[in-house]
Amino acid sequence: MATCCGKQNDAPVNDGSIRKVALVGNPNVGKSVLFNALTGAYVTVSNYPGTSVEVSRGHAAFGGQQWEVIDTPGMYAIHTITEEERVAREILLHESPDVVVHVLDARNLERMLAMTIQLIEAGLPVILVVNIMDEAERMGLAIDLKLLQQKLGIPVIGAATARKRGIEAIRSAIVAYRCPCEQQRFEYSRLLERDIAEVAGLMKGEYILSRRALALLLLQQDEEITELARTREGDDFAPLNEKVREIAFERRESFHLDLSLERKEMVRRIVNGVFSAPERRVVTMAERLSRLAVQPLTGIPMLLIVLYFGLYKFVGEFGAGTVVDLLEKQLFVELFNPWITATVQSLIPWQIIQELFVGEYGIITLGIRYAVGIILPIVATFFIFFSFLEDTGYFPRLALLVDRIFKHFGLTGRAVIPMVLGFGCDTMATMVTRTLETTRERIIATILLSLTIPCSAQLGVIMSLLSKFPGALAVWGGCLMLLFFVVGLLSARILPGDAPMFYMELPPMRMPQLGNVVTKTYTRMQWYFLEILPLFVLASILLWLGKITGFFEKMVTAMTPVMASIGLPKETAVAFIFGFFRRDYGAAGLYELQTKGLMDARQLTVAAVTLTLFIPCVAQFLIMKKERGWKVAGAIGVFVSLLAFASGYVLNKALLVTGLLS
Amino acid sequence: MICGFCGYEFDESEGKKGCGGCSGGCHSIHCPRCNYKNPLEAGVVKKLKTIFGKNSEHKGDMG
Repeated sequence: MATCCGKQNDAPVNDGSIRKVALVGNPNVGKSVLFNALTGAYVTVSNYPGTSVEVSRGHAAFGGQQWEVIDTPGMYAIHTITEEERVAREILLHESPDVVVHVLDARNLERMLAMTIQLIEAGLPVILVVNIMDEAERMGLAIDLKLLQQKLGIPVIGAATARKRGIEAIRSAIVAYRCPCEQQRFEYSRLLERDIAEVAGLMKGEYILSRRALALLLLQQDEEITELARTREGDDFAPLNEKVREIAFERRESFHLDLSLERKEMVRRIVNGVFSAPERRVVTMAERLSRLAVQPLTGIPMLLIVLYFGLYKFVGEFGAGTVVDLLEKQLFVELFNPWITATVQSLIPWQIIQELFVGEYGIITLGIRYAVGIILPIVATFFIFFSFLEDTGYFPRLALLVDRIFKHFGLTGRAVIPMVLGFGCDTMATMVTRTLETTRERIIATILLSLTIPCSAQLGVIMSLLSKFPGALAVWGGCLMLLFFVVGLLSARILPGDAPMFYMELPPMRMPQLGNVVTKTYTRMQWYFLEILPLFVLASILLWLGKITGFFEKMVTAMTPVMASIGLPKETAVAFIFGFFRRDYGAAGLYELQTKGLMDARQLTVAAVTLTLFIPCVAQFLIMKKERGWKVAGAIGVFVSLLAFASGYVLNKALLVTGLLS
Repeated sequence: MICGFCGYEFDESEGKKGCGGCSGGCHSIHCPRCNYKNPLEAGVVKKLKTIFGKNSEHKGDMG
């Protein structure tokens, strides 16, 4: 059947009217990237009428002609299943775009071409964009685009839209598009052609899609197309419907399978000579790394290397060591604090008010110093490391790697998301546990987060403190790992239920882009800093109030026996009180005690373990309450605090008995 | 934007935003597929990109 696609057959016009171009294709093939490249900033997003599916529309001028560009939701075929697919088809059916750009992934050409065939078969004005060509080339795949164009009878453009490759060619192809009068016809088997002809022959109404395509959709029992035919055919619908039912009944066993196999064969014939893969597929460096990262035998050493260089060397030694030393000691303690103290004292005559700003717990001398001098460099280096890893695509591999281990804790690899985020900030990670499938998973993840995952600032400070003593860091890490496993295993036994299945599509591993890393780091730091600074100021005010009222001293005195029981000097109580305001604030307090020479290696290790395990900060506790309710949050809080001190007690005794770290 | 965790490509408006958990407002977009918390680009970065004519969506590889 040779069809003309009506108005699309016209030569390009420039009459001031707005033409439409719809971008269609599977999810994750780069449609939105192309949409943004074509439209720029002039975009509107709205729900498609009667649905909750959002559709983006933008405007652009190509070749002096105004175009409306529509980014349709992902679809796999014209025969729709999901609401997104239905919306995408609705756009094709009711908005009659002047050009339909089908975007597909060059790496999956054979699988995705089936939809191109359906679009051509439907008589739509199709341009094919074979996207992600750069990755395909890297894999050694060769695609003869000219031959493909010849075989399909439509314009075919190779592109790598994420790298801006091919954008101009796509624009030009849209502008120059003319629907061919003789469209390519893709032949099915004789039997199927007969069925199509019988159904199409009974259709009398006017349609945007070709009768051939509609006949196939009717034979696939597509409800919406059946309804469309009912309204368009009127009295002629009954014989049409009868014929469809008759054929559908005859072929009830295997129609879908037959059609799918025939299309597969059709695609195979098309790609024959068009697509070639090397005899031995080229395994790219990224693929090799990806495989190594998910296999336990290589994945775990790889993880340890990542943690050693990323966390220990970069965040711990460089961020919490070198940079903190520079900022906190040399800038704040030696230069800024003496100057600001003298300035405030000369301006404010009342000692009590001086104390508020520049005293022991002063807003400037403590709050700002902690935030800028200690926390900022640690968080900055952590976020650089985090954004770098994120941009490589390592995290989903980590999820897959730990899935097997997490299953024993009643969790799945999906829980890696809150766990990984917990190293940034436990409060936001606690919130992210809501994305886990079952309540059981959420509770277990919340317990593990509040107990054993230190936030970035705390982690950085602790690493910097303990790395000065051989073995201390290993003891701290070992304790946390042990508790993570024990508490995880016990929680899974105590809390009823099964771990759900976990599967995810792995995005490719890639070379991190400097621009991405810098942007993400800057963004994360900005929000983090804006969030903590007021809290640090508030904590300083509360501590100042506590000091002048004597309440703070009473709390320290009350906690002294507890501190003594785990072998710590009474001053450590201050760090724990700080820690309740914010974990990172507590860690910074510990840092100060160490610099004053008040603690030895054993005490530092015990304090670090206890403080890491200690009750979450106020913000995390409040989020726990919000997410899990008072009962669960309270129970977790009490459990975590008791376990923290019990672990500190046992560790202290063990270190004293064994003489380790002394 | 492209999710930093699962590589899913989605429009900023598709992501879930504003669960109210963060003090100082929401600065993240949760991926509609995996719920990963992606940072919302800071205003200054957006401005810089506009000045240098760079669209954030063009950056990085796709899934």
